[in-house]
Amino acid sequence: MPRVIGVDIPNHKRLEISLTYIFGVGLSTSHKICDVLKLDRGLKASDLTEEQITNLATHIQKNYPVEGALRRVIAGNISRLRDIGCYRGMRHRRGLPARGQRTRTNARSRKGPKKTVAGKKSVKGMK
Amino acid sequence: MGRSIKKGPYVDDKLSRLVENGAGKNQPIKTWARRSTIPPDFIGRSFAVHNGRQHIKVFVTEDMVGHKLGEFSATRHFRGHTNKKEGKKPGK
Repeated sequence: MPRVIGVDIPNHKRLEISLTYIFGVGLSTSHKICDVLKLDRGLKASDLTEEQITNLATHIQKNYPVEGALRRVIAGNISRLRDIGCYRGMRHRRGLPARGQRTRTNARSRKGPKKTVAGKKSVKGMK
Repeated sequence: MGRSIKKGPYVDDKLSRLVENGAGKNQPIKTWARRSTIPPDFIGRSFAVHNGRQHIKVFVTEDMVGHKLGEFSATRHFRGHTNKKEGKKPGK
C-alpha cells in the first residue's frame, strides 16, 4: 500500500476517496487536489506511480494543514479561547457544548456517559 | 450567522470615543455595551462590563480582539446542584 504523508496508507479505493483518509482532507479538498495534479479521480491508489505519490505528498504538505499540524492548530485555537476567559473558553474548560446547544437533555458527546442522579424525576415525569 | 462584512464590526460609539480620549487606562470604563466588538485600539484598556447584576472587570489583551465584550462577563453562575444531605448551598 502506498504511503502519502506518514501513516496514511489508503488503497484499492478510488483516489478521491483514498485521499480523505488523511486527517484534514475531505471530499472537496480531495477533488481539488486531484484536479490540480491532473490525476484521474477514479484511479486506484495501488496503480499510482512513485512519482505521482511524491507529487501528491508534496502538494498536500505545501498547501493544506493536515494530520499533526492541523491537530496542533485546532488545539491552539481551543487553548486560546480557554486562556482569554471568554464564554466559549469556559464551556471548553467545563466540557460542555460551546455553541449554545441545550444541555437539559442530550449533549452526551460533550458530557460523556449519563450520570444518573437518584431521586431525579425523568423528563416525562416532570409534566 | 455572522454579521455582514459590508457593515463592518459593530463597536459601541460611546466606548470608542472614550477610548480615543484615553479612558480605561487607570480606571475601568463602566459599560453596559456587551454587544460591542473589541477593536484593536481597546488593547491594554480595562472595562467593567455589566452582566445584569454587577460590572465585571475585563482587561483587554491582544487575543480578545474580534470577540464581543459580553463574552467576558458571564451572566450565569452555576454553582453545582443541591446535595440532598447538605441541603441547599448558600446563594451568592
